[in-house]
Amino acid sequence: MTDERDPAPAGFSGPRRALVLTGATLVVLLVGAAIGMLITTARVDRAPSAPSPESVDVGFAQDMQVHHLQAVTMAGIARDHTTDPEVHTLAFDIESTQLGQASEMAGWLTVWGRPELPDAGRGHMAWMTGSGHGHGDATTAAGGSARMPGMATTEELNRLRTVSGKELDVLFLQLMLRHHQGAIPMAQFAADRAGTGYVRDLAQKILSGQTAEVTLMTTMLAARGATPLPPPN
Amino acid sequence: MASGTKSKGASGARGKGGAKGKSARAARGAVAASKPKPWGTILAVIFVLALAGGVFTYAYLQINEKNKWVVSDDNQDPSENIEGVERIKYDSGLHVDKTQRVAYDQSPPFGGPHDGVWADCTGIVYQTAVRTENMVHSLEHGAVWIAYNPDQVKDAELDKLKARVEGQPYLMLSPYPGLDRPISLQSWGHRLKLDRADDTRIDDFIKSLRQNRYQNPEPRGRCDAADPTQFDVSNPPPFVQDPPGPDAVKMDGTGAKNESQAEQNGEVPTAPPSAPSGVPSSGAAPPSS
Repeated sequence: MTDERDPAPAGFSGPRRALVLTGATLVVLLVGAAIGMLITTARVDRAPSAPSPESVDVGFAQDMQVHHLQAVTMAGIARDHTTDPEVHTLAFDIESTQLGQASEMAGWLTVWGRPELPDAGRGHMAWMTGSGHGHGDATTAAGGSARMPGMATTEELNRLRTVSGKELDVLFLQLMLRHHQGAIPMAQFAADRAGTGYVRDLAQKILSGQTAEVTLMTTMLAARGATPLPPPN
Repeated sequence: MASGTKSKGASGARGKGGAKGKSARAARGAVAASKPKPWGTILAVIFVLALAGGVFTYAYLQINEKNKWVVSDDNQDPSENIEGVERIKYDSGLHVDKTQRVAYDQSPPFGGPHDGVWADCTGIVYQTAVRTENMVHSLEHGAVWIAYNPDQVKDAELDKLKARVEGQPYLMLSPYPGLDRPISLQSWGHRLKLDRADDTRIDDFIKSLRQNRYQNPEPRGRCDAADPTQFDVSNPPPFVQDPPGPDAVKMDGTGAKNESQAEQNGEVPTAPPSAPSGVPSSGAAPPSS
């Protein structure tokens, strides 16, 4: 009966020590978990698998979809109305290629958990700020452009819907040529600076594909006795 | 785990002549004896719990706010965050032809049978009111239709709506004579009526429902008019304000001409039951297409 008490740290009785140990464990666990939670919050937009909403990747995928969908519209009008086999083939090619690419970009955004299309109330091209490239004509309050470079106006689209024959072929080639010229700097920027490999890869494909088509359409315009529109600013 | 530790301790105590059993008894005695509570420790634990709880709540709310309007598996209808949205579930894919009208259950309608030809929804600002049966088809493709009362929304208010829509994919704007509120937003199965063009819920509605893969029956369907002879963007089929007659197609699709055409085309099997067949229950077989 000599050993009535356990050897305990001075000033700590058994139950008190149990409390302190429990408390200390809780502190360590909760502080650790809390720090982890904060880090998660800070990194939630920066995880490698999900580019941030402000990234080049997301901005390019959203804006280039809108840009592409207008090309699809214009090419569809030309495909429906032209009687020129060369214009018909080119229009069908552009329409199918860009529709496929737009869907691919929409798929990325879904997987990334980002909005599939840019906010209707915000401007475009904010992801390219600081690039030194032209960003279209008007600037919105949100810092982006109201209209992306090379985009046709509603009036131009309506005209494309009403003309026919050679006038249609020339107008289509002019509008699509300018449209490509507007897309090329966007694709170049994303090919250089997107964080994701497959985004840079598609941007590069758009860049080289549309650059080649610019040459083709310039030739086709000349063959029809017409000249390109002034390039987008 | 706790019970395992206990039994180990008990067997160990027996094996070593009860030395640990004594200390355990002593500890139990101490629990009963030591009255002074360790207030400092208790307060510290409470403080840490409150702090951690605060951090968890903050982080949770932050993540939620960031994803509030992003459509995902976990957030299939972000419009639930918007006050005033009406919801009705509609069957998709019921088509009428250009000579028919649909007896819609809502005005403006936001689902139900529709013309096989869709209205152009490539960010189009319609100057005139467009036939409703065409507009509803575009909702099925994931478009958002902004309708306004032309007597109540004009000039600066109308310009705000135009700026929102023009050139933006899967949006369309058109006057809707007789609308009971100045503005009404339609997405398939969803509607929100508003009074002002600068209401922030317009953007929230578009963010939540345009191309929403969980709410739209055919998201990413084409918006470009398929054939100008059937839908001419510059001269679209006109809106009809008179109520539809008794021959109008019902909301469940009964009376649709395409319905009977489909049967004639053999899409709906009409083979007489007496047809010789080796399969006894051909009716239960899944459709081949």
